[in-house]
Amino acid sequence: MIKTENVKKILNYISIIIISLIAVSCMDYGPKSESDFNFYDSNGLFIVNEGNFMYGNASLSYYDIDKKNVENEIFVRSNGIKLGDVAQSMVIHNGLGYVVVNNSGVIFTIDINTFKVIDIITGFTSPRYIHFVDDNKAYVSDLYSSKIYILNILTKKISGSIPVKGHNSTEQMVQSGKYIFTNCWSYDKKILVIDSENDIIVDSITAGIQPNSMVIDKNNKLWVLTDGGYQGNPYGHEIPSLFCINTSDFKIEKKIDFELNDSPTNLCINNTLDTLYFINKSIWKISADATNLSGVPIIPYKGTTYYGLAVSPNNSEIYVADAIDYVQNGKIYRYTAQYACIDTIDAGVCPSNFCFKLK
Amino acid sequence: MVILTLTFGTVGFSQIDSKNDSPEWHLYIDSSIVTAQRIIKDIGVQQTKLDTVALRENISTSMADVLTQNTVIFIKSYGRATLSTASFRGTAPSHTQVTWNGMKLNSPMLGMVDFSLIPSYFIDDASLYHGASSVSITGGGLGGAIAMNTKPAIDEGLAVQYIQGAGSFDTYDSFLRFNYKNKGLQSSTRIVYTDSDNDFKYVNYDKKEYTKDENNNITGFKYPIERNKNGDYRDFHALQEFYFTANNNSHFGLSTWYVKSKRGVPVLNLDYRSENSSRSQQDEQTLRTVLSWNKSFTKAKLMTKAGYTYTDLSYSYSGDDGTGTMVKMIHSQSYVSTVFAKFDIEYYLGKKWMFSANVSAHQNSVNSKDDAIINLDNKPVIIGYKKSRFELSSFVAAKYRPSERLGFAINFREEFYANKHTPIIPAAFVNYDLSSDGNIKLKASVAKNYRYPTLNDLYFMPGGNDSLNSETGYTYDGGIEFTLSNKKANLKGEITAFNSNIKNWIVWLPNFKGFWTPSNVKKVNSYGVEFKLKTMVDIDKNWKFASDGNFAWTRSINQDDPVNWADESIGKQLVYIPEFSAAITTKLSWKTWMFTYKWIYYSERFTTSNNEKNTKTGRLGAFFMNDVSLEKNMQFSWAKIAIKILVNNIFDEEYQSVLSRPMAGRNFGFFIEIKPDFKNKK
Repeated sequence: MIKTENVKKILNYISIIIISLIAVSCMDYGPKSESDFNFYDSNGLFIVNEGNFMYGNASLSYYDIDKKNVENEIFVRSNGIKLGDVAQSMVIHNGLGYVVVNNSGVIFTIDINTFKVIDIITGFTSPRYIHFVDDNKAYVSDLYSSKIYILNILTKKISGSIPVKGHNSTEQMVQSGKYIFTNCWSYDKKILVIDSENDIIVDSITAGIQPNSMVIDKNNKLWVLTDGGYQGNPYGHEIPSLFCINTSDFKIEKKIDFELNDSPTNLCINNTLDTLYFINKSIWKISADATNLSGVPIIPYKGTTYYGLAVSPNNSEIYVADAIDYVQNGKIYRYTAQYACIDTIDAGVCPSNFCFKLK
Repeated sequence: MVILTLTFGTVGFSQIDSKNDSPEWHLYIDSSIVTAQRIIKDIGVQQTKLDTVALRENISTSMADVLTQNTVIFIKSYGRATLSTASFRGTAPSHTQVTWNGMKLNSPMLGMVDFSLIPSYFIDDASLYHGASSVSITGGGLGGAIAMNTKPAIDEGLAVQYIQGAGSFDTYDSFLRFNYKNKGLQSSTRIVYTDSDNDFKYVNYDKKEYTKDENNNITGFKYPIERNKNGDYRDFHALQEFYFTANNNSHFGLSTWYVKSKRGVPVLNLDYRSENSSRSQQDEQTLRTVLSWNKSFTKAKLMTKAGYTYTDLSYSYSGDDGTGTMVKMIHSQSYVSTVFAKFDIEYYLGKKWMFSANVSAHQNSVNSKDDAIINLDNKPVIIGYKKSRFELSSFVAAKYRPSERLGFAINFREEFYANKHTPIIPAAFVNYDLSSDGNIKLKASVAKNYRYPTLNDLYFMPGGNDSLNSETGYTYDGGIEFTLSNKKANLKGEITAFNSNIKNWIVWLPNFKGFWTPSNVKKVNSYGVEFKLKTMVDIDKNWKFASDGNFAWTRSINQDDPVNWADESIGKQLVYIPEFSAAITTKLSWKTWMFTYKWIYYSERFTTSNNEKNTKTGRLGAFFMNDVSLEKNMQFSWAKIAIKILVNNIFDEEYQSVLSRPMAGRNFGFFIEIKPDFKNKK
């Protein structure tokens, strides 16, 4: 039993605790500090860290290729604002970096040496990639909107669109002459051919189920990689393939098959445009002249979660992103063109896309 | 009969079924009479009871708010009237099993419960069963279980209660209850309607509005003041109950609860799309009904229940298709139905033994589809699955009290799902009264528990993995409980330490095919301490004081095998689980006035599995919240009227409790309650 005089004591203690709790009740939230960066005159690699869907933890890293030095979260550190939700891709055009942030519906243009924001371009539904047709015009593909946005580069405003009715999504874009090829990835098998002079779709090519990435080789051939869907997919499940397509008559010239349960992604090409690279659990390559796949991966799977791939247009060095468990900061492994690992780079969450800044 | 505990109660909002109709509003000591049978039944059980005071403290709250304020459970809430899931002892939302009048509330499809969709006005009592203690409620509660119930009113005659609330952001809450009791027959109708634009303003520190000169050079900036976009909600709940007591100690009950909820899914503060170019919405309609029959004998009690649940849940994302027309780009629809039956028996053998057994069955059917993604040859194709599963859970328990101060209990449960079954789930409990007056008790429990996969885990398209195994949890805890009281004051405290090892924890991760798929990969060790303290003091005739606090230290540690050499998540706290959490509710009353202060704290939550601290993108600092309210009760000849003003977030803190989801600043609510006096009380 407590004595009555102790009641007051207890009350006093409780009051003290409550008052002191209120006193520390202040949350650490508000404006973020900004830092100045100066990466003029450096060969660099921007690493686009996708982050987790609906977390808003996408980020941008900058790797100084010569000094082997990385700066993470450069966008928020330089600008004091976050990059957004699901950063998808980045392209440099005329000295400006265009960072496409998918689920924020925005494209930021940044100074590629100081990382400061120049423009914020909005009006998209779910932008994925940007492709510069010429110095006046760019196309922006979209995951949900059944159109490709036309962007006026001078005004940084959407100036029009190309309808892609009947397709759920448009993804990457590559160019051969006046034709822009774009792959319809989500539950689709088409490559659309756009006449960039008239901004209209002039043809479409039927590839395999879910074409996910494309490159153009030294012979001006279009290479398309498909993932083949999945078991139980009402749209179908088939052997993934690598298609080689003529960019003049849009005919399929070669089809190289994988195994049914393979899932090849991230098709890239080297600096001489004669060797293709891709992820299929491990990292593989194939000559543009080959007719079948080689037997051994160039960079084997080691429990790694290869999530992004880039090949330097300078010297064919290979950069591979490892997302690890998808919820921690990933790593980038840098290899020479002869597959010797020469650096391991700390990146952000889910590193997936790269953009070279070369002098 | 033993008077064991003293609980604290008030005549305040929604005490329609309160015994105490004294016009003078004061704290009183409501002696709960606990029989010797009750003591045997609760041997070793780590339980937190939520009384009507906690459940009705703020009429407009959901169970999410009640659990946050009054228990050691961490509720991860995305904001007002948005998804709120529970983490009990550092576990996942699906590891907290929830029942309503004995029927499971966990979605057979998703495994979890959204507590923001349960109005506390509909729950008359709720108990948390921590760790091993959950085995007596259901299997699969690797963190614990919450049993929520409705109860018949006590007073005879007609009682009506109407409460109207109005608050910030165009929020209106209406509550209505009719109760009629005549001898053995009773009808109760409760209605809740809540409607809010929920478009609070906030300063968006994650965006900047730049000003530029004529050469497009940035000359300055400001942080935009934005509104919470797309966060509007409209929820309607109706609960109809009938109770009938026959002469021979048998009781019938029928409870039917209908929910219709229409909620916008608020956009992230990092979204740059204009408000009218996209809209995400979640609509739900659910009907739950439970019929029960209880019969008491001198030495035994029989309980049977039968129930049915039907849920129609849809999520849609509409966007501008490029022509200015909004079209549905995502439309996920699921229909879930459950037929439920339970039979329960308790038998007391002398004063020292109790035996109980029950068996419950749930027949679940899920039809889940996503119908706006694919067009195959210009015809829409539906992706999804349609599955049914029969689940049976059987339970036996023996409890033994060899002396006044010592008790033992042992439970066994086994669960069957489809053509599989979990291993036997054993649990053991011990209880010892350290002091002869029963005011200091020691408790300990241990269990091995299993949770089987949900239907989405097994069959979701794409990604469902039908080869998943049950998750396994091994848990034990021990604690001390004490009560100190005299005529004027009462102090009750409890401290418990726990340790759980969970393996085969199911996680969804992207696979090489690029879509998400679940597997039994995670191993987690969660351990910690839970501390509860409750006090009340009658300072003098007019002044009363009460305070109720809880504190938890929860380490929830990833013990997986590393994914690869670079994996830095091993030995680290799980994402979004705070290591420390605490909440205190303090009430001070003077005559018919009552002032309430609520305080909540969570330590930093990590958003990366490697617990990255050096980040500007993924940090969620410590969370503190302060809410106050003031109530006044008035008694007139024709009615009782109460008014209440509440101020949430009194310090107008700007914050996020989940990344990219800003929360409301200081906001207000005003409530008026009318209870007509029909002069028909006994």
